[in-house]
Amino acid sequence: MIDTKQKTTLLLLSPAIIVLVMVILGPLIFSLYSSFTPFKLTRPDSINQFIGFRNYVRIFGDEDFWAAFVRTIVVLTIALNLEMLLGLGLALLVNRATMAQKTLRTIMMFPMMFSPILVGFQFRFMFNDNIGVVNNALQSLGITQEAIPWLVDKYLAIFSICVAEIWNSTSVFAILILAGLMSLPKDPLEAAEVDGCTKWQTFRHVTLPYLMPFLYIAMTIRSLDIARAYDIVQIMTGGGPAQRTELLWTMIARTGYVDAKMGMANAMSYVAILLSIFFTVFFFRKLNQARHQLGVGL
Amino acid sequence: MKVKSLTYSIALLLAGAAHADLPGKYDGVTLQAKLIGGQQYEALYSRIADWEAATGAKVEVISKKSHFEIDKEIKSDMAAGTTDWCVGSNHSSFAPQYIGLYQDLVPLLAGADIDAYVPAIIGASKVGGELIMLPRAQFDVSALYYQKSLFEDADNQAKFKEKYGYDLKPAETWAQVSDQAKFFTDPPNFYGTQFAGKDEGLSGRFYEMLIAEGGAMFDEALKPTFNSEAGVRALNWFVDMYESGAVPKGTTSYLWDELGAGFASGNVAINLDWPGWAGYFNDPEASKVANNVGVVVQPKGSAGIRTGWSGHHGFSVTSDCANPEAAASLVWFLTNEDSQKHESAGGSLPTRTAVWEHVINTADSDYRKGVLATFSEAAQHAFPVPSIAEWIEASNVLFPELQAAIVGEKTAQEALDDAAKEIEEVLMDAGYY
Repeated sequence: MIDTKQKTTLLLLSPAIIVLVMVILGPLIFSLYSSFTPFKLTRPDSINQFIGFRNYVRIFGDEDFWAAFVRTIVVLTIALNLEMLLGLGLALLVNRATMAQKTLRTIMMFPMMFSPILVGFQFRFMFNDNIGVVNNALQSLGITQEAIPWLVDKYLAIFSICVAEIWNSTSVFAILILAGLMSLPKDPLEAAEVDGCTKWQTFRHVTLPYLMPFLYIAMTIRSLDIARAYDIVQIMTGGGPAQRTELLWTMIARTGYVDAKMGMANAMSYVAILLSIFFTVFFFRKLNQARHQLGVGL
Repeated sequence: MKVKSLTYSIALLLAGAAHADLPGKYDGVTLQAKLIGGQQYEALYSRIADWEAATGAKVEVISKKSHFEIDKEIKSDMAAGTTDWCVGSNHSSFAPQYIGLYQDLVPLLAGADIDAYVPAIIGASKVGGELIMLPRAQFDVSALYYQKSLFEDADNQAKFKEKYGYDLKPAETWAQVSDQAKFFTDPPNFYGTQFAGKDEGLSGRFYEMLIAEGGAMFDEALKPTFNSEAGVRALNWFVDMYESGAVPKGTTSYLWDELGAGFASGNVAINLDWPGWAGYFNDPEASKVANNVGVVVQPKGSAGIRTGWSGHHGFSVTSDCANPEAAASLVWFLTNEDSQKHESAGGSLPTRTAVWEHVINTADSDYRKGVLATFSEAAQHAFPVPSIAEWIEASNVLFPELQAAIVGEKTAQEALDDAAKEIEEVLMDAGYY
């Protein structure tokens, strides 16, 4: 039996529960259901046709999907590591600035202020092999006389996309690491100096352990971002040529909206989410370990 | 009997007279419309106010986006069942996808001058025998642009004849385009030609080359047949251009904007492109090849057939529209003779026979006259994409395989076989067999 107090509690909570169900749970259940149907946007009645796990079975046998899955992991690994290194470097430099640090911090965040679509167009133009500024500069400087196919070559195309991603988002790492550096206690640094540690030893054994929780938070955020990368890739290469730069979400968006196969696209999305869940769990475990080493948290 | 027949004839004449001023009176009616946006399409929409003044109705434009965005929105509307708006922009390549969304216009336009539109274009506006769109003055077929000075240069002419054994002049066949493109190429500064390298752009270019080589996309049972010898020959033309370096290496990432900018930059000798670029290419402020642009009708393939992949924009009326007569009146008005004259003044190609004559006669320069005459002839060889709802989906399967052959990951035969197998599955899923 529910007593009056519990009824009041339920009543008071009900608006929040209703909103959560409508905004989060409802669409999730609907999209999960539609992944078990051959739902096509242009044939609305197909939502009523239940086909069990057929979409999932097809996905597991689809080489193109798994190639995109692996490619997404490769881009994620390259971009995440380079962003971390560059972000760490930027944060250390800005932290050492003795004047105009606020201005430098603002400038450092400029790339984050651009929409990924704009960044995609900007880098597509820059890396154009015929009229792009990168080839033009390389040829003018006499470094090459070739028209380097930045957006076509198997490796260069992935590299170009990583460059755009890194340019756009390194500041996420930089700003979080800078926050870590600014909150770093002075005592351990002074103790290391008194003990005769070199600058590298101080950084490696004192500063870095303090920064690790900040690094893992940044990595969690950015791994989620990159695992669902779409805008920049779509604008720069559209996943081509010959699917060389096809990532999970360019494939899913084309399946869902251009081919109108929303049932299949939703099934792909649920498989793709496994990637995000894996990286989130992995980085949160690392975050807890780092906090544990520092003597905070679990 | 005679009286009855006479009465019927008079009734028909009156009906015809009524349709002579098709707009009609629709006071208090508001039509919601979803229209394609963009500079080249906007000029026509000023005519909507004239239709409103003539009919007393109002037009509420509830969405105006690029065609690809409108396409996504319309598909979402179909899924959500929110299709009670009345007038939508449409395109011949996309129209077959919208199953049941739009209604047959013939009953709504009885007596209207449908025969005044170019018959082949009216044919390409039908899906399953129903006229689901009326074409506006936005017809597209490609012709061959070239830099005149390169072909007029005596030194080039002598060297070309020595190397290939025939005179250097604008190409009549795709084999000649291939020779000329290789002859003019000097990478990375100058390229012989270029082509759309992705999306429906590449599928469409392959499709028209396939037809020109005597092949077909599908047989009568809609089984893919493009992996035939003709298909391999067609695809190998693109492969050969890429491997020989006669096109920029990045061409598989190019679409219309890059191609237009490439030819206008003066770095490309020969360029198969749409009529909408003619003015831009000859504009001294925008183009380095201004006053040096020639245009000839598109070349033939080895089967003696000219390429001619074509498409056109138009307007449709939804099946759920509450005022289909008013909507049909608007659609007709926006595609009538006056509207097509108005729209084609901006450089686009009309879809009414009488307007073709008008635009050629009123062209303001010899260049423009030449361009229009060429595209008028090019239109004679035009053909649309296969009229199946799955064309875009099939194209999305096809173009990555074409790219794989072009960049050397697969042979032409392997790429086409793989695409054929996958497209057959798509069509099987759709219930064709």
